[in-house]
Parts: sequence; structure tokens; C-alpha cells
Amino acid sequence: MTEKMLKFVSIEQGSPEKRDALERKADFDEIYQGYIVEKAEEQASRCSQCGIPFCHIHCPLGNNIPDWLNLTADGRMEDAYELAASTNNMPEICGRICPQDRLCEGNCVIEKDFNSVTIGSVEKYIADTAWENGWIKPITPQTERSETVGIIGAGPAGLAAAEELRKVGFEVHIYDRYDRAGGLLTYGIPGFKLEKDVVERRTNRLADSGIIYHLNFEVGRDATLEELKTKHDAVLIATGVYKSRALKVPGAELNNIHRAIDYLTISNKKSFGDAVPSFDDGTLNAAGKNVVVIGGGDTAMDCVRTAVRQGAKSVKCLYRRDKENMPGSAREVQNAEEEGVEFIWLSGPDAFVGKKDVKKVHAYQMRLGSPDQTGRQAPEPVPESGYDIPCDMAILALGFDPEDLPTLFDTPQLNVSRWGTVKVKHDTMMTNMDGVFAAGDIVRGASLVVWAIRDGRDVAACIEQYIDTNTAANAAAAE
Amino acid sequence: MTNIHDINPGLPAELGLYNQTDEHASCGVGLIAAINGISSREVVLAGIQALKAIWHRGAVDADGKTGDGAGIHLEIPQEFFKTHVRTTGHEPIDGKLAVGMVFLPRTDLALQETCRTIVETEVLNFGYTIYGWRQVPVDASVIGEKGETSRPEIEQLMIANSKGVDDETFERELYVIRRRIEKAAIEAQATGLYICSFSCRSVIYKGLFLAEQLSIFFPDLLDENFISSFAIYHQRYSTNTFPQWWLAQPFRMLAHNGEINTIRGNTNWMKSHQIRMAAVAFGENSGDIKPVIPNGASDSAALDAVFEVMVRAGRTAPMVKTMLVPESWSNKPVMPEAHRDMYSYCNSVMEPWDGPAALAATDGNWVIAGLDRNGLRPMRYSVTHDGLLVVGSETGMVQIPEENVREKGRLGPGQMVGVNLKEGKFFKDRDIKDRLSAGQPFSEWVQDLLTIDDLKGMEELEPSKLDKAALQTHLQAAGFTLEDLELLLKPMVETGKETLGSMGDDTPIAVLSEKYRNMAHFFRQNFSQVTNPPIDSLRENRVMSLKTRFGNFANVLDEGHTQKSALVLDSPILTNRDFEGLLTHFGDLSHTIDCTFDVDCGSEGLRNAITRIQREAEDAVREGRGHIILTDEGTSESRAPIPMILATAGIHTYLVNRGLRTFTSLNVRAAECLDTHYFAVLIGAGATTVNAWLIQEVVAERCSRGLFGDVSLETCMARYKEAINQGLMKILSKMGIAVISSYRGGYNFEALGLSRALVGEFFPGMPSKISGIGLAGVQQKLLEQHSLAFTTKKPLSIGGFYRFRRGEELHSFDGPLIHLLQSAVTEDNYGKYLSYSNGLANMPPINIRDLFDFKRAETPSDLDSVESITQIRKRFITPGMSLGALGPEAHETLAIAMNRIGAKSVSGEGGEDQKRFKPYENGDNANSPIKQVASGRFGVTAEYLSNCEELEIKIAQGAKPGEGGQLPGFKVTKLIAKLRLSTPGVTLISPPPHHDIYSIEDLAQLIYDLKQINPRAKVCVKLVSSAGIGTIAAGVAKAHADVILVAGHNGGTAASPQTSIKYAGTPWEIGLAEVNQVLTLNGLRHRVKLRTDGGMKTGRDIVIGAILGAEEFGIGTASLVAMGCIMVRQCHSNTCPVGICTQDDDLRKKFEGSPEKVINLMSFIAEEVREILAELGVTNLEDVIGRTDLLHQVSRGADHLDDLDLNPLLVQVGDRNVKNICTLEGRNEVPDTLDAQMIKDASAVFDRGEKMQLTYSVQNTQRAIGTRFSAEITRKFGMAGLKPEHVTVRLRGSAGQSLGAFAVQGLKLVVAGDSNDYVGKGLSGGTIVVRPSNRSELTPHHNTIIGNTCLYGATSGTLYASGQAGERFGVRNSGATTIIEGCGDNGCEYMTGGTAVILGEVGDNFGAGMTGGMAFIFDEKETLADRINPETVLWDPIKNPYWENVLKQFITDHVKETGSRFGAMILSNWESKMPLFKQVVPKEMIVHLVEPLQVNEDTEAA
Repeated sequence: MTEKMLKFVSIEQGSPEKRDALERKADFDEIYQGYIVEKAEEQASRCSQCGIPFCHIHCPLGNNIPDWLNLTADGRMEDAYELAASTNNMPEICGRICPQDRLCEGNCVIEKDFNSVTIGSVEKYIADTAWENGWIKPITPQTERSETVGIIGAGPAGLAAAEELRKVGFEVHIYDRYDRAGGLLTYGIPGFKLEKDVVERRTNRLADSGIIYHLNFEVGRDATLEELKTKHDAVLIATGVYKSRALKVPGAELNNIHRAIDYLTISNKKSFGDAVPSFDDGTLNAAGKNVVVIGGGDTAMDCVRTAVRQGAKSVKCLYRRDKENMPGSAREVQNAEEEGVEFIWLSGPDAFVGKKDVKKVHAYQMRLGSPDQTGRQAPEPVPESGYDIPCDMAILALGFDPEDLPTLFDTPQLNVSRWGTVKVKHDTMMTNMDGVFAAGDIVRGASLVVWAIRDGRDVAACIEQYIDTNTAANAAAAE
Repeated sequence: MTNIHDINPGLPAELGLYNQTDEHASCGVGLIAAINGISSREVVLAGIQALKAIWHRGAVDADGKTGDGAGIHLEIPQEFFKTHVRTTGHEPIDGKLAVGMVFLPRTDLALQETCRTIVETEVLNFGYTIYGWRQVPVDASVIGEKGETSRPEIEQLMIANSKGVDDETFERELYVIRRRIEKAAIEAQATGLYICSFSCRSVIYKGLFLAEQLSIFFPDLLDENFISSFAIYHQRYSTNTFPQWWLAQPFRMLAHNGEINTIRGNTNWMKSHQIRMAAVAFGENSGDIKPVIPNGASDSAALDAVFEVMVRAGRTAPMVKTMLVPESWSNKPVMPEAHRDMYSYCNSVMEPWDGPAALAATDGNWVIAGLDRNGLRPMRYSVTHDGLLVVGSETGMVQIPEENVREKGRLGPGQMVGVNLKEGKFFKDRDIKDRLSAGQPFSEWVQDLLTIDDLKGMEELEPSKLDKAALQTHLQAAGFTLEDLELLLKPMVETGKETLGSMGDDTPIAVLSEKYRNMAHFFRQNFSQVTNPPIDSLRENRVMSLKTRFGNFANVLDEGHTQKSALVLDSPILTNRDFEGLLTHFGDLSHTIDCTFDVDCGSEGLRNAITRIQREAEDAVREGRGHIILTDEGTSESRAPIPMILATAGIHTYLVNRGLRTFTSLNVRAAECLDTHYFAVLIGAGATTVNAWLIQEVVAERCSRGLFGDVSLETCMARYKEAINQGLMKILSKMGIAVISSYRGGYNFEALGLSRALVGEFFPGMPSKISGIGLAGVQQKLLEQHSLAFTTKKPLSIGGFYRFRRGEELHSFDGPLIHLLQSAVTEDNYGKYLSYSNGLANMPPINIRDLFDFKRAETPSDLDSVESITQIRKRFITPGMSLGALGPEAHETLAIAMNRIGAKSVSGEGGEDQKRFKPYENGDNANSPIKQVASGRFGVTAEYLSNCEELEIKIAQGAKPGEGGQLPGFKVTKLIAKLRLSTPGVTLISPPPHHDIYSIEDLAQLIYDLKQINPRAKVCVKLVSSAGIGTIAAGVAKAHADVILVAGHNGGTAASPQTSIKYAGTPWEIGLAEVNQVLTLNGLRHRVKLRTDGGMKTGRDIVIGAILGAEEFGIGTASLVAMGCIMVRQCHSNTCPVGICTQDDDLRKKFEGSPEKVINLMSFIAEEVREILAELGVTNLEDVIGRTDLLHQVSRGADHLDDLDLNPLLVQVGDRNVKNICTLEGRNEVPDTLDAQMIKDASAVFDRGEKMQLTYSVQNTQRAIGTRFSAEITRKFGMAGLKPEHVTVRLRGSAGQSLGAFAVQGLKLVVAGDSNDYVGKGLSGGTIVVRPSNRSELTPHHNTIIGNTCLYGATSGTLYASGQAGERFGVRNSGATTIIEGCGDNGCEYMTGGTAVILGEVGDNFGAGMTGGMAFIFDEKETLADRINPETVLWDPIKNPYWENVLKQFITDHVKETGSRFGAMILSNWESKMPLFKQVVPKEMIVHLVEPLQVNEDTEAA
């Protein structure tokens, strides 16, 4: 009976404890504690078990949220995990890094006045509990299949696809240019949001499941796309987008202006204990510096909070629009503010000042103009409002564009859009090259991890169907 | 086989959705008998007189003159007929002559001659001689047009007992001759031949006229020589108006008022019984009497046929009544053991014929009157000093001088009275049953019955055998989803109850779904509406029985100890352990049939498998195996299961057709079986027992993981079984069936989306209006599902049938579209609304209407010329959602919005705050123009009823037709309690039936009452779509309803069990079309407006509704969505997060609805309607009403279906000249009652406010006395504007039904005599006194003075009655005070307020569901403890002098008002009598009492 549920009218929202800002600034560990059992069950029981669960509808993965909340409230953690895992290849990761306030929790119908169910935290609790109890085992397909699939990119899209394809018995190879699997999960997202062993246990599990990683492998250098294509029955391009957007203003060529991706990757490598010269020589270490991060997305948030942890003298974040209109998660802004980051809203940099090294950022105050068709207001500078911000290190977190894959892969025939994203057929997710598929950010442009997982799952189904059809056709031809 | 079309060619064949088997009849009935058995003229005259006094229980056809039929059954006055014989020149021989009363074709003379020849030939062939034919004189001038056109030639054949046999033999042979004539007539296609009676003892005069014209039409009856010792009379009220002379009653043995709900099952079982039965009783003639029940016979005719054959085979009428319509016996503590043994024996012989029934019957020696087990029809009797027994539906039908009355009584549930004419003796119920039970050694015959606990292995643990992987595979093969297991199964195991849901069903009907739907999804449960009442299986569970007996059904006519050690189970639901035990017990007598088939079987695989199991079953039975086990456990990688419903029905039907079914039990193990609905379908299809073996494996697996806590598997299964048992009883009770043996094999369902061929083969007689999936489709879906389980090995899907899940079942209230609609109405943006509407239109088909498209005109009309939004909106209604379900803000918002646009809102059940009756200062009017009258009658006062334009009688609601409801205490806030006249925090129960509507004539009476209390309001009757609704609607129209609302199955905020939401009722498209067709066919359409609702969301829905016949449209859920509803579907939990369906203060603050939003929705829909009308080339919505030629079917559903044929919905009956829209101006007026005179005589009261006293003589035809008068008082002075007793009206005689209904303060009615049913119904402050006449010599407290269901829904006022009341006294009383001197069963049921003092014995089940008020019972014989229903009340002697004084004062008043001698005696012996009183108080009320029950600190009672 639902009597165990629907407790939102009597139980207040309660998130897991956050560590104190002072304490958490000192390390790169995650800032949220896990739920204790009772708390998780109690919080899960606040779910209203809706007839139309908008949390579920607005989850890119269509996670069966009300169902696993119900199971959690009931203490049936193994069932809850099984269910959570049936739609999501890495629930504990989504639970940590999804912008729930814009997805499930933001659409929770009890949200008005009652504060939403803490879906992300419960999701994390479910999967962490499963890991702790050893319920998560390597995949053992019911039957092994002879066909193989090559996947370029070990990020969330590639990993999700790999797992799904492995489940049905294909031999799966993943190629990645980095030395570790995980893509942005490993090098893009800082440890205080996503501890690295959380990612590693996932990538390790796939290895244990028989998926073969080819790391430090650059397509175009170590093999061409065509070569991979002949080697495998299908190839998936899931490279993500890595080309950082530039800021075309005077002084952009000065030293100590860095791309966010480089900054974060180095920091993460450092956390792994790797030898990182560019950090050790101070280039990418914010310690003792006045740091200015430009941008208002989640990457910018990661940068500012990394800088805080590296011991920056000051950390400022410049964004053209106001707080309400920033693309990043509100929760992250709050965390950053707690940790001492200064946000300068409505502020547009128009020059970097300095001789060799950047010394100042010159910026204008902005205001929001009249809304366009989509209702979004374009920022415009307020005349004569320019001012300077002292800066020893500037980080540009303005978003990512696709790299030039046809060139990079030495495969000019690969069809890409004018923005550089790989074009695929909507229903088959196949590129213009037979047997070559693409999914994730490289198709949709920079987006959320959860969308990458969704695409990875979808493309896996497409690939399976493609191979099945081919196999059937070959069999028919052989007869 | 006889078919009514053979008998009466005038009846329309099946046409559109009309099906003649749906027709119902109900009526007034009674008998008169000379106790000494001596014939007299007086008896005949009394019968004629009685018929003149029950005209109001019949109906008049559209032509105003044709009645539904009336008749009288009399002894043959031998001399009267012998005189006629002599006038023809014959001298009659000694002994009785026989008279055949025969209807012959009148206009086709050649055919008439053929008929005569047939009759004569058969008589002569049997060795009797004929005196000749007598043309019965008739006066045809008194009958109506329809009656005249269909009038037969009526003749009497007089037959001599030339063989000189005794009367008994003569009668039996006459019976055989008659049956032979009937057969010969069919063979010769001699249509129009019908034999009313064919007997040497009695003759029946009947026909299609109004009851009062019987003696004018048949002048024979006025002949001084026409004498009789008994008269059984009947007046019919049928739901249809197709003239049927032969359907008039009495039938050959009995006359019946009521309805047999189990007719389909009974008829089926008779097919098996008749074989051995006929052989034993009729030997070489056995072939002649089969089939016992003619094909197409009505329920009453079928009952009569069986009654007759049993009598002819040598049983007495009382014994036959006892066997066919037994008392409920298994849960009755006060019943004598001998009676119980007799019933226990009868139970093993024959399935009861269940349903409301007042019977008057004769076997020639006995004349009896009897009632059904629930006592759902009234039966009052009087015995006179000069030796007459007068029984009838009402008291006062035969006027007897009070001083001549020796006794006045009534029949209680299952009771009987009778006269043995031979012995010249009157028998009361107890006397008859003592005599019957002593007649045979029943106790000996039933002593060695076994129960399940007697079997071996019952002390062992429940077994389980599947591992987890196998379990998952089987679950997948059976089509289960996680939702099934979590939402349905889990609560059953945890709580022993079914889970509740809200907000109706918006998923596709099974036949349109792309998902796998098991067979049960194609079945819709039958439910009662209007023509019979549902039962409350919770509060009245004493009448319910799931007792399942193995191996009964020997020969119905055998007597004696037919079976040794027969096994009787308390329920047909078996656990795996039970089943194993049973198998062991049966041993070699059982045969197990594997119900699976090879997956590589080709296209005929399923068909061949069914043929195989049928043959296997037949062979097993012929080998003498008494128990067949059907199982799908053999499902494996290579074998798929036959749907067990098909397997069961396939074998049941096959065995029935071969007459073998009664030789075996049919025990079904079904993997697919989970919810109560599936169990019900299996049992309805013929299963004796059912075992959900796979579900038990699931429970075992979960139990082993500790998911149910520290509970053993045995307890889990016991709870599950309990939930199913309760659910089964609910399903039975919602169609008014109390006994599972009568439900079994009755196909009490309607198919929705099963192919006609499949239904015809496996479920003969079950309606299937639109055809659909056939065997081929079923096989395809099965194999797909099988492959998911065994080939692709997919895990169970999450399921989305009850709640939306992505990629699962569609829901037409779709998340994003809801948001779109909400922003459309918030921003007043029609463009967004159109996107919403298009979004809906682009979804795959969900509803039947989605398969239609409009035939657009070649030249559309100019949009500007189409009638305005304002005009169209007036046709919109927000359907009844009670304040209680909705929060006050939401409820008012709807009313204000609808009033602003001249449309209508319905109050819903639960009253309305009187401050809303007048417009607010800002001009907003929150008064709902339509006030609902529902079964709970909460807040239904004279004032409430006066403040509206229309009164809606809610017979059923889409979410749970046939069920009652419950407003849990936590939802009863101060406001709710005030409006419902109850106590805050105390649970309120709405009974399943209206206790004043058990039958169609009761509905007519309620409509009459309502039209009296509000002389301006129209009356609407709300029905739920189901097969046969057309004929019900015709009956409702004849009951003077002005509006008929056809609700679809899918509606509602109501909380109800999930299986009720999903599987009861049909889409409104089908019901509406049927109602429109049948009303038109009957010439009744023009006098009623049709309204429909159920998931209407867009202009398209409205126009299709209009085309299918509706004039007005209910928009319910969509209007809630406009106010912010987001389909959380937790309305029953009081946690609505948008503040609509909740009484919680915090949540109510979240309400963001506004009248503007609702108005925007209505305007958008109207605008869309206009656009569609323009496309159709018309200018008014009225132009398309009933124009089904404007629709065509654009989709025939999926490829695997046999056919999906919506043509029956599109049939246009008659031509355009037939009035097929409502032309009614104002309302259908009803005749005046005494009040017209009273109001005239009381002008001084209304003109000058004077006090007055009026005096009249009354009889039972004067109904609702004081009601119209109260309406005038309310209008002039307000409901409480006059002082009590301002106007006193003294009445002498027998007052008609509804005496003082809704009477208000200031009016006092004093009856010297007695009164009928419904005294003080809805009493709103008035005072009613009923006492015997001064001339009466009766001892009042031993006699019945008022009828059934008195004070139903009373809200205030006082009733004193010096005598006993009938059944269901004070039901749903919420404030009236009353003193009576005894009452029948179910007294004070559901009472929530007021005080009842009963100076005498009460019947069974007293105080069931009583949650408020108080009762004092004079428990002299200390029977209360056995009678009371202890669920909600406590009882104890009075311990606080405060309450003693209260009681004493009541009795003092009673003595003063009525002169009660018994009351005076109690008062004068107070010290010794007071301790005999028991004070009955609801448990929930203890803390709310003004004074504690005991003076000391301890307030504990009982």
C-alpha cells in the first residue's frame, strides 16, 4: 500500500550532510556525505508516487524514479539497484553530477512549497549501497557472439554503449587517446564532485566484463577510421567535444590564460598522483594567484572550485548574464559561494591587459536587453561602465565545440554539420558511412553526462539491430 | 428451441446496439387467498381491487394508454365453464375440466387455424377430448394503440378429463401436452401462439393494458359466477415498450416482482440439470419437456419454467421456493439448526436464483408469497378475521375495515407465508420452514460434509518450487510487469486488501493497446443499476457466501443422501498447499489436463489445443472422473500457455452443451491469475476452484527474502486469499449476487474487444458490442509474449498500466500535453489549446472515438454563421465531484465558473454550504445549478433540493459502478461534517445502492418524490455505460426522468479499487449510442435530454458525442486539469500537491485554480466545436445530434484483430421524421398527489401564516403526502421557518409510499392506519406519527405498521410509529429522532446521527456501518447480541442516569403522540423494564458524546 509513501506532507526535505566549506576547501574529496540508511528510506518515502511522474518524464534516461524510491523506502535496496541499473549504466555517477534541479527534482510535483524529493542523493545512495554490498558484478552475457564493435572514446556515451553491447554478447573494443578511461568523468570533472575511484570501479568493471580498452590510442595516428571499420562489424564514434571556445578579445594571446579543459585535466592528473610538469612548474597551479574564470556553466564552476582548493589568493567568476540566467547549476553556484568564490554577474570581459603575463581583465558591466524569440534576453554592455579586475591567471570556460574529425581521423568522407558535429540518421544513429555510428556530445554538441549515457544506450540498440540484420543477410546470402 | 421471436414477430430483432435479452421488468405483485380454501366471489373482487391500487408501480407507454401488462391468476370456476360447455350442447363429464387460455394470431386467419390444429392434435394425441373453443369476450376499447396492434385472438380451449385420471396426473399430463404444443408450434413456425395457462385447476387472464382495466378488458371477471379461492395478481413495469402480450404476468406458477441477477448462470446450469431431472420425473416424455427454459425467456419466465417443472415433478410450492430462492443461512446465528441443515442440503442440490424477488406462486394446493435472501422487494400482508390472506407490494391495496384485520405483517429477507388450500390453513414463515425441514431427514443427509481442513497435508507448510530465474521466465510468459507485482500484489499480501486508485482510466481499451493484455482485460464486470441493487459486501456480508461444494449437482429432483463425504470449501480460491491436498483427496477421480500448446504449431495451434483439451475433458468425464484439473504449469521453451480463461470457458461450455458439466468439477491452475478480476472471470467462465500457482511462487520468493517482514508464507497466502475473497464478493455484490455458486458459469461480463465469433463459441450469451480480437490474434500475442520470456529473455517491464512510464502503456492525459493545456488556459492562448488538442489527436488510438473521423462537407459553412461560443458552452457541465473529494476552493471555483457562462456544475454528493445558495456580494454565484442525490444522501435536505434547477440521481459512477464509497475520518473536516450533518473526524459511508431504489418502479417513486419537493427542477438520472443500458434508459424515461446521463467507464476523482477502475463499465461511446437508439426505437427520445461524460477533453470529443446522440456534455477531469491537476492520482490520500482534491489546510493553500482558467477551457473547447461544425457544413450543434451519417470509421485497429466493427454505434433507428432529439420544454410533469388539495385547503397558512389542522382519508395510491406541501413551506418560510406542528394533517387509512418525504419543520402528519415504504425519507424537520386506527383490534407492537427503508437519509425531525417497521429502518439517518416498536433486518445501517428508540426486537445485521447517532433497543428476549453487527458499534445496558432520562422522555413523548399501550406498559414498569434496554453507540462516537456512557471515570463500554 502507498501508506509508506507520500510522506512529503509530514517529513521535511533533507539532503545528506555537506561538509563544512572550510574543511572541504582543503581537499579534493566529495563534499556530500552519503545518506545513512534511515535517512535514505525516510527521504525516499516523501515521494508522491504520481500517476504522471514528471521526474521520470524529464529524466533523459527515463529512470523509473518513483519505483526505486518506493523500493528504497521499503528497504529493498537490491531490487532498487536492479531497477535503477536497468535504465542507467552509472546511477551513482548521475546521482552525483546530474543537475537534478533542472531535471527530475526540478519537475517534482511536490516541489512547490514542499521541496522536491532528494532524488539524486537517493540514487547515489542506492548505487553506492550496491557497490558496498558487492551486488554489482561483471557482466556475463548469456551467449557470446562472434561480432565485434569498436568504440572511439571512453567517455560516458562510449562506456554506456560498450556495456549494453557487451550484455548481448558482442566483443567490444574501446579506443581512447587518454591514458585512463572515463573521458570527462575522469579528467573533466573534479574529484570534489566525483571522486575518481567511483569512476574507476565502473571502468574496471567493464574491463572485468571482457571489454578491451586501447588507451593512449589516437585514431588518425594509431589507426584510421577505415582500418577500425574493417576490423569491427560496427564502429561507434563517441569522442565528445573537446575544442574549447576562444574569447576573441585583445590580449587573448597573453600568458597565464588557460583553457578550462587543460586546467581541469591537469588538476585531476595531479590528484591521481601522476607526474605533471605543467602543474609542478606553477603554470597550471592557482596557488597564491588572483584567478579569474570566465563563463557561467558547470565547467566554470568546476574551475573556480578547483582554484579555491589549489589555494588561490582570490577567485572570481565573470558571467555576462545574471544569476537567474546562468546555464550552470544553482546548487554549484551556492557551493562555490560557500567556498569563497566571488561571482561577478553581468560582467563581460573585453580585454586582457598585461605585457607578457596577464595582469588585469578589463570588463564592462552588462545589462539584459529585450528578449528574443526564445524569450532569452541578450546581454549588452552598459556604456562607460568599464573597470579592471586584477588577474594572475585567467581561465576560459566558454564551452566546447567539436574537433575537426574528418581531418583528425583522416576520413574526409565523414559527414559533419557546419558546427562540426557528426551527422547521423535520426532513427539508426548511423553516419553516412555504413557501419559507423556516432553518439553523445559529438552528435548533439556539448551537453550533460546523462544525455551522453542515453545516447550511448540508444546507439547500442541501433548497432545491435544493424549487426543482426547484417548477420541475417549474410546467412541468407550464404545459403 | 423456443425463441421470443417465434412467439411474437412484432418485436424488433437486434438492431444497432439494442439486444432484446437486455430487457428488464419489475412491478407490483400480490395474492389473495381464502384460508379455508373455499372459493368465493370476494377473492376475485379483492384481486381486481388490488390491481386498481398499484397503477403507480407500473408504467405507461409513450402512447399514454398501453400499459406494460397486468394479469390475474385464478382458480378455474368449474361451474362457470361447465355452464358454457352446456350452452354449446355438451354435457360435461364428471371431474374437473381443464381450461387452456390461449393467445392466437389475430389477423392471419390461416395461421390461426394452424395453431388451433396444433393445440387440438396434441390434446387428442394424449387421449383427452375437447369440449371446444371459447372466444374470450374482451372490450378492446380500453387498450392503447400499441396494445391494440399487437393484440392476439384470445380463446379458451376446454378439455375434458376423459381418461378419468386423478387431478395430479391430469395436471402433469396437461403440462406435457402444453410443452408438446409449444414444440410443435415452433416446428410449424406457428408464430403468435402462446398458452397463458393450461390447467384443470387455474386460469390466467392477462394482457397489455393498465392494471385497473383488467376487469373491463375481460368482462368474464365481472361475472358473479366467477369465483376462486385465490388470486395472484401482477402489474408489470418493463424497461422497454415493445408490446408483448405474453410477457405480462402472472406466469403459469408464479408472479415475480424484481430481477434474477444470476439468470445467465442459472440457465446454463439448468441445461445440465434438466437431463437427469427430466428422465426421472417424466420418463418417456422427458424429451418433451426439454429445454426446461425456453430460449429467450425473461428471467421471470425462466424462473417460472423451472418452478413449474419442479412442481410437476412432485414437489410442493414452498419446497420449490426454498430450493430456488433460499434464505441466506450460512452466517445466521439465530436460525434453527434444522432449517440450516435443510438449506445446507438444498445448497448442494441447486444454485440459488439470486436477485431481488417478491414472488407470489401457487402449485394448485399451496398459495405462497416469498422474498429473496436480501429482502429487496416489499411484501406486506394482512390476515382478516373472516379468513382472507391478503399479500401485496403495498399495504392498503385491498381495503379492509380495520376492525376486520387480525394481523398485519411483512415478509423479511428469505421469508415466506402461505395458505394450504387443501388443509385450509395459514402458515407463517417459521411454520412453513419447520414443516419443510421436518419433512425429510436433512440433518442426517448433511452430517458428513468435509471441509478443507479435513484433507491430508493441510498442517504442512506451503510449498514452492521455482528458482528465481525460472520464476522470472514464467512471470514474463504470463505477461506480468513489475507494476502488477508492486502495485497490486504487494498490498494484498501486506494488508489483505486490494489497493485503491483515483482519477479513472485513461489507457487504451485492451483491444486498442499495443501492449500484451491478458484475456481478462477484455472483460467488463456487470453491475447493477436501477433495475436491481448492488449489495454492500462489507456491511452486509452475512448474506454473502463463497461456499464452494464439490460434486453436488446429482439429480435436482432426487431426494436423499446422494453423496457421501462431499467436500465444501469456504472459498473457491486455493493456495498451492490446498491444491495439493485436493489432488491427493481426489486421487483417481481426478484428471489433469495440460493447457499448453506447441509454439511451432502453425496458425491453428491454439484452436487445435482447445479442441484437444475439450475432448480430453469429455473423455475424462465419461470415464467417471469427477474432477478435472486444468493447468498451464507445463509452459516451457517449446510450449505456450492457452489463456486459462479460454481453456476454462472452452471446457465449461463444451461440457454444458453435452450435458456433462454437472458430473465434474473444474479446477483451474492459472499462471496469469493475479487480481480479483482475473479470478472473477475464471469463475464466471465456469471454474469451480482457482489456484494462482505462479503468484504463490512470487510471494514465496519475496517472503524468503524477508520482504514482508517476519511473516510466514502461510500468513502471506492467507492474506492474499482474504484480499481475493473480499474482492470476489465485491465483484459479485456489485451486480447484486450474493452467492458464488450462482455466479459461477454465468458469464456475468460484457466483452469489450473480443471477436463475436470467439464470444459466441466460448461465452454464449455474453454481449460483445464491437467485436475485436479472435483466436488468431490471441495466439499471435501469446507467442510474442512467450518469445520475450523464453527467446529474448527480456526482464519484466516496469509496467505503465496504472501509472505512466516511458515506453509503456499510453495515457491520454499525457504529461507534456497537460502542461500545454494549463499554460493555454492560464495565458488565455487558444493557439496553445489547439496544439494540445492536435497533440491528443495525433496520439495512437486510445478511445473508441479515436477510430472515427468526420465526413466533412464539400462546402464548409462560414465560421461566422456558426452559433456562438456562449450558446455552445451552455451545453457543458462539470460532472458531480463531491465536496469531500474536492477541496472547498476547487469545488466553488467550478460552480462560479460554470455559472458565469450559463453552464452547469453538479454539486456532487455531500451537500453544499447554504451560504452558496445566494450570489456573493461580488456577483459570483457559487450555487451549483445541479444538485446531486446519491446513495449516502449526505446533506440532502429540503432546502438543498430546493436550491437548484436540476436534481441528479447518481445511480452509478464511472470509476466504480455498483460500488459504494467511504469518506475516511481524516477527510471529514468541520466544514464537511457540517454539510453532511455528521461529526468531524468520523468516517462516512456511502452505500452501494440507493436504499430506496431496488427496482425501476422505486426509481419512478424517487423521481416522483423529488419532483414534489422541488416543483420546478428537472430530474436527471446518471447511469454508467454498459451493455443493456438502452433498455434501462427506456425504463428511466418512463419513470419521468427529464435528463439521462450516460457516464463512461473512465471517469473520476473517486477512489476505488484498481480493478474496479479498470474493468467495470464501458466507454460512453457505446452506451450513449445504445441509449439514443433504444429511446428512439421506443418513441421516448423526444422527452429526455441525453448527456454524456467520461474523459472528454476537446471539441472533437464533444462533436462526436453529439453525433452519437448527446445534447449536453460533462467535462470533468479536463476541468480539474485546467485548475492545476497534474494527475498525481492520489486523490484518496488527501495529499493532493496542487490543493484540488484535499481537505488538508496546508495543501489547500497551494490551490492555483481560478474561474477564469475553467472558463477559458470551456471557451476553447466551444470554439473548437464551432470550427468542426463549420467543417461539417452546419451552423448549430443541434444539427449534428444523432447524425451518425457524419461519422465514419477510419481505423479497424491492429492487423491481428478479427474485426473491430463500430457499425452498431452508427446505426440510425427510424428516419429523420422520428423524433430523435429532445423537444421537451420544461419538465415531464407527474400527477398531483393529496398535497394539491392540502395546499389549496391551507391557503390561510401561506397567505397569513395561520396555524391549521387538516383531515383527510387516504389510500396507498396517494404518495409522497406532505412533500409538495413542505416545498411550499420551504419556499415561503424556509426549511426551519415555522414552529413545529404549525400545520397538523390528520390522515385515515393506508398512506402511500414516501409519506412525509423531506417534510420540514412546521408540518406534522398523523396517520391513523398504516403506511408503506419510505416513511420520512429525507425527513428535514417535520413530525410524522403513525398509529393504528382506533377501531383496530391489533396488538400494535406485534404487527407491522410502516414499510421498508423508512427515514432513509433523514436529516432532522421526528417519527413516531406504534408498531413495527420493515427492513432497513433508519438507514443513513443523520439527525432524525424516532421511536418504533420493532424493525426488520439492517436497521440503522450507516446511521451517522440522530436517535432511534426501538421498543422491540430488531432484525439481523442491526447497526452495520453505523458511525454516528445512538440507538436504544428494548432487548427483552436478549437477541440483540446475535442480531447486531459489531463492526462499528458497542452496546451495553444503560449506565448513566442522564441517558436513562433521555430515553424515558422519548418514550413518554411516544406514548403521548401515538397512545402506544406497549410504551405505557414499559413506563409504568420502568424499574423492571429499564435494565432490558441496550444502548447502542458507534465506537468512533464515544469520545464525542455530550455525556459519557457511565458516570464514573471509566468510559469503556461493552
